[in-house]
Amino acid sequence: MDKILVVDKVTKEYPGRMAVSDLSFEVKQGSIHGFLGPNGAGKSTTMKMIAGMIPSSSGEIKLFGQTVSPDNRALRNQLGLLPENAPLYMDMKVEKYLQYVARLHEVKNVREQTDRVMEELSLTDVRGRLIGNLSKGYKQRVGIAQAIVYDAPFLMLDEPTNGLDPQTVVEVRDFIKKLSARKTILFSSHVLSEVEQLCDHITIIHKGKIRASGDLKDIHRKFRQGLVIKLGLGLGENLPDLSSFGKYDVTHHSTLSMEEQFMVTFESEADIRSDLGKFILNQGKKLMTLHIESPELEDIFLHMTENRK
Amino acid sequence: MIITMWKKEVESYFSSPLAYVLIGLFSFISGIIFFNLLVTYTDGIQAMPQGMSEQISFVEEVVLKFFANVNFLFLIFIPLITMKLFSEEKRLETLDLYWLAPTRDWQLVVAKALAALTLIGAMLVMTGVFPLVIWGIGIRDFSLLGTSYLAVLLNACAYISLGLFCSSISGNQIIAALLSVLGIMFLWMITWGGHLNSNYLVAEIFTYIGITSHFERVLRGILGTQDLIYYGSFVFTFGLLTVKSLGRRNW
Repeated sequence: MDKILVVDKVTKEYPGRMAVSDLSFEVKQGSIHGFLGPNGAGKSTTMKMIAGMIPSSSGEIKLFGQTVSPDNRALRNQLGLLPENAPLYMDMKVEKYLQYVARLHEVKNVREQTDRVMEELSLTDVRGRLIGNLSKGYKQRVGIAQAIVYDAPFLMLDEPTNGLDPQTVVEVRDFIKKLSARKTILFSSHVLSEVEQLCDHITIIHKGKIRASGDLKDIHRKFRQGLVIKLGLGLGENLPDLSSFGKYDVTHHSTLSMEEQFMVTFESEADIRSDLGKFILNQGKKLMTLHIESPELEDIFLHMTENRK
Repeated sequence: MIITMWKKEVESYFSSPLAYVLIGLFSFISGIIFFNLLVTYTDGIQAMPQGMSEQISFVEEVVLKFFANVNFLFLIFIPLITMKLFSEEKRLETLDLYWLAPTRDWQLVVAKALAALTLIGAMLVMTGVFPLVIWGIGIRDFSLLGTSYLAVLLNACAYISLGLFCSSISGNQIIAALLSVLGIMFLWMITWGGHLNSNYLVAEIFTYIGITSHFERVLRGILGTQDLIYYGSFVFTFGLLTVKSLGRRNW
């Protein structure tokens, strides 16, 4: 099966408020799919609908080919979720808690499974400690552990690195990367660099509406309108007139310690680097840098979320 | 599944000091009540002319009054036991665990009710020492002891189901406890309203809806079908309301 999750024109309306509207996107098997959006964009609501915890007002969500609804319990062992606030019992010990969650999901070899998950998430040392006494980083690990302890093939993580210290963030990211070898992951975040590092597919949501969805490379390509070239000239040198290469716009200029750096966007997408290099050298300028600049995910995100307010 | 959930809830009760404080406090207060009733009874016997002492019934004066007082203590103790069962889970958003698992809402409600009943059972076990004391001082009249325990247990079931519902509709433990206290008081007042009403039919309906008349009947060993139906339907109704209230999560 290629598509594990299909969200088709899903709308969730609360009295007097539209949480998400007409959402459509797909998650492919084996991918880490980034679900991007600013706070309040509707990411958590969408994830809860996918998990069957709340019903949608209209539209359809299909997981593993089955329609998701709060009444469809058959799908519940197929999906692991770390919600924004991990559902942790502060008065339980780590090991007991994970065993309890495993039992709720009818796991057969509860002890082996919880031992394995604790080992994977480096929780073995704190297995006998009360969850309430753990640091935020460890609590989040326990939250991830509860989502994977019953070995669901599809995993949803709602901002799993939010509020963690940098070292734990790196560890959690590495673990997610490792998990992706055996699970399909829908991963929400508003940290763009994180999504760029981890995900191969993304969906950008803003104010309850999809702004872009698909392969990260395709989105990069789609967003790139024209050709952006970073040009480095000698210190104090000005950019010559480049109109012989078609319409262009200098979007950024900064003076660095060794060069004057210009970001030039050409309307035409044709690769003009070679001719441009020669042209600049013929103008008697020093050419320090010349390369095509791909738009950062941050640029795409800002474009998608700001320009469409 | 219910056993797994019940076990977790019981462990949760006994992992906090609250359960021990409640059991200790309940034993202490019920001990004082029992002692006072026993002293009043023996004083009454001694004050009676010889041969007339049998007119004072031990069961009436000590056993029934003691269990009526236990029922009164439940007004405070059961809301304290049930208040956190759902409101705390709502506050910590831990109910998500159950919505993601292939469990049913009613299983969770039953497990939590049984866990609360287990704690009440532990409290009542402590009162088991009183029949031993009675035996020790040479009184052998244990009639109605079994039905008295049954009466308080049935009332406990009704109060727990009410308390669970109150906990399920509030994310605040204090509000849940207050609602339970008011609910239990209301159940008592309905019966009083029945006694005060001059219309026979209205009085009968009020008396049936109120819990006190059923409690008194069972306490005195007159356990009829109408009482079983009353307790059964009461627990079922509030259980169902609790399940429905949970079903409305985030909708």
